[in-house]
Amino acid sequence: MSMSFAGQTAVVGIGATEFSKNSGRSILRLAVECCEAAIADAGLLPEQIDGMVGFTVEENHEIDVARSLGIKELTHFSRIHHSGGAACGTLHQAAMAVHTGACKYALVYRAFNERSETRFGAGVQGLDNAPTPIMVDFGWCLPFGLLTPASWVAMFATRYMHQYGATSEDFGRISVADRRHAATNPAAFFYQQAITLEDHQASRWIVKPLHLLDCCQESDGGQALLVTTLERARDLPNEPVVIASAAQGSADDQQMMKSYYRDDITGIPEMGLCARQLWNDTGLGPDDMQAAIIYDHFTPLVLPQLEEFGFCAVGEAKDFIKDGNLELGGRLPMNTNGGQLGEAYIHGMNGVAEAVRLVRGTSVNQVPDVSNVLVTGGTAVPTSAAILSRAG
Amino acid sequence: MSDDNKSKTPDALLAALRRIVGVATEPRVTRDDVNQAMIRHWCDAMEDNNPVYTDPAFAAESVHGGIVAPPAMLDTWSMPGLAPRPRQESSSGEEAGMVPVLNQLDAAGFTSVVAAGMSHEYHRYLKPGDRLTISQVITSVSDEKQTALGVGHFFTTESNFADQQGNSVGRMEFSILKFKPGTGTVNMDASALEGLEKMPRPRPAISRDTKFFWDGVDQGELRIQKCNSCDGLHHPPVVRCPGCGSYELGYLVSQGRGTVYSFVEVHHPQFPMFDYPLVGVLVELEEGTRIISNLVGVKPEDVETGMPVELAIEATDPGLSLPLFRRARPARRESTLLFADLEPGQELPPCPVAISRTLIVAGAMASRDFQDVHHDPDLAKKRGSPDTFMNIMTTSGLTNRYVTDWAGPEVIFRKLSLRLGVPNFPGDTLTYTGQVQSTALRDGKGVVELLVTGTNKLGDHVTATVELELPTP
Repeated sequence: MSMSFAGQTAVVGIGATEFSKNSGRSILRLAVECCEAAIADAGLLPEQIDGMVGFTVEENHEIDVARSLGIKELTHFSRIHHSGGAACGTLHQAAMAVHTGACKYALVYRAFNERSETRFGAGVQGLDNAPTPIMVDFGWCLPFGLLTPASWVAMFATRYMHQYGATSEDFGRISVADRRHAATNPAAFFYQQAITLEDHQASRWIVKPLHLLDCCQESDGGQALLVTTLERARDLPNEPVVIASAAQGSADDQQMMKSYYRDDITGIPEMGLCARQLWNDTGLGPDDMQAAIIYDHFTPLVLPQLEEFGFCAVGEAKDFIKDGNLELGGRLPMNTNGGQLGEAYIHGMNGVAEAVRLVRGTSVNQVPDVSNVLVTGGTAVPTSAAILSRAG
Repeated sequence: MSDDNKSKTPDALLAALRRIVGVATEPRVTRDDVNQAMIRHWCDAMEDNNPVYTDPAFAAESVHGGIVAPPAMLDTWSMPGLAPRPRQESSSGEEAGMVPVLNQLDAAGFTSVVAAGMSHEYHRYLKPGDRLTISQVITSVSDEKQTALGVGHFFTTESNFADQQGNSVGRMEFSILKFKPGTGTVNMDASALEGLEKMPRPRPAISRDTKFFWDGVDQGELRIQKCNSCDGLHHPPVVRCPGCGSYELGYLVSQGRGTVYSFVEVHHPQFPMFDYPLVGVLVELEEGTRIISNLVGVKPEDVETGMPVELAIEATDPGLSLPLFRRARPARRESTLLFADLEPGQELPPCPVAISRTLIVAGAMASRDFQDVHHDPDLAKKRGSPDTFMNIMTTSGLTNRYVTDWAGPEVIFRKLSLRLGVPNFPGDTLTYTGQVQSTALRDGKGVVELLVTGTNKLGDHVTATVELELPTP
């Protein structure tokens, strides 16, 4: 089923704060700064913005962001659930909103002090255990000491290793590639700090089989994007970056971070569902992607994503990676900004911005002749993905 | 006890004790025949299902030709029970054996007792109706020693057991530490027992839809939601069967057997309510669903995908029970291994034993050991232990069981020698491992020596050497 908006909308502006471990300012300030930058990049004025799309886990209220920005009237505002799984879901939502006319210019943003204030990696603790749905769900893992995203993801990793013979080094190569790309990106937190596979192997255990260097950073920062119709985009200063397609996916027996009860837990069927939609909507396939931004909160789940999109056969991602395909100059340069391990962890939104730069031709690690870039949302949760393309 | 003894100088005490060394007691006839009832109590307590101890038909066809007692019961037959220990005298009428040594040390303030080790030699298996005679001699008393438990004296006894015909049936060396409570070098107060007095684990949030599960855990059951209409299983629970649409959802009680489907080892961050290393595990239950849990009593490096595990519902603190898993007890071998099957270096499969309060008390009673430290937690604390702990005879019985479960029902024990390390406290898991040390043909008999170790979370509880005789074809 082809989406009516496929190829009909575009990203026209991107804006970000610096990425740090301690921003020194409020999350509202971060949101407003990145949004202002995205609006300016698009060549628009705040009063032209009439739509806002965010994450349900975003702590800033859109009305507060709008008030400081000087946005006057909003005709569309909505939120997407499931943390980083929403990364491309916000694009999907914004594209639908502008395509249907619910709004003209949709501002998409994510901002937090996720290192200096609320640390995601610190683990779920100290919560009231009133039986809200999320706490009932946590009740299946918290009493057993599985309190962090790393611990939930590691369970998938062990099984994947067992089933396909992947090793910690195979995961480490993703980290090494990300950090090599970050090393030449001045915006990356780990600018000029490449690592070796030995560094990866020597880094301490977080939750075995995950080393520290298998885990994304905890970051402070904000990232915003501006979406409008392709028709309006053509009147704006930037070359439009077309949303060739965007899709969300939630698959059978989907659970939050712990879809452990399916027949097989080494694949990511919700990402497979996104892949099917994207390929169907666009008529494109893996061979048509010149680069990819693959969600990398934890390295092990990059492997099944490559498989779900058909870049390699199931179980063979380790070989695809070992062959250097994800490096600059390789078959599918990945996370050219340094990814969430190297640049910053902004719930995947900084990756969407990098996909925009790759299409524009402005990445610091630019891949030649980019027509299409795949970008994916967070894994182990209901997720999303998109293909961004050069305007024809 | 008399003031006279209390005021004894250490030298005088030692001299008095050493006068008893080497003086053998007159042979004493044990209170009861070897009997089926006590054998059955023992087998129940140790969960030893070897049919040669209790199944007359099987036993008749076995190498023994009839029911026999577990070899590790040897000294159980001579235990005095709750009656006061009888005065033991030598042939010349002086007090001898263990009783005067215990009394003198008690009087001098060395009131706590732990077994340090024992060694059994079996000359033949005992059968119901045998009536034993025991003679005992103190073979050594140590100088005063500072041990981890306290200041004390080790002493060793040798006991010889004969049957109604006067033939020797077995021999035992037994080593005991008598110490002054509160003089140890390790902190043995209650906080030393991890898991009991610590910050509580996070409580599960329980909804109307999940209450049946947690109620089950409180009642010692692992309940898996089952659709009453189509029998489909759902975990975590649903409210409507997605398979058939029914809202009529019940549950089945899992048998608690499964395998490790995946696992993780949590290192960082660490929280005060958990013990690390902490193994998170995804268990695939035999019934066909999976469940998140912890694996207990297994070193993280020994965990493997596919490993058989069994349910262990445990109170992680006084207010919370959780369905945890431990390594599955290996199946009992039903046909005995042959001598030719074994070679040095061969490993015995690891076997867990849940150290419940029931096991500690039942094992003490089955071995007629009424020392209060094995059944009364308050008195155990008074004597310097954080809780009741397992007696050495239960450890012998469990070691006996571990080896026969592995080797088969008709293996013959020739020797069982064990040295105790850290105690077995309730709530822990004792995991046995073992290895074949040597194999030799002696007088046409296949003799195999094993080294067996039982480890709990405090460290090595028991190190045992076992000499077996296995059939040669």
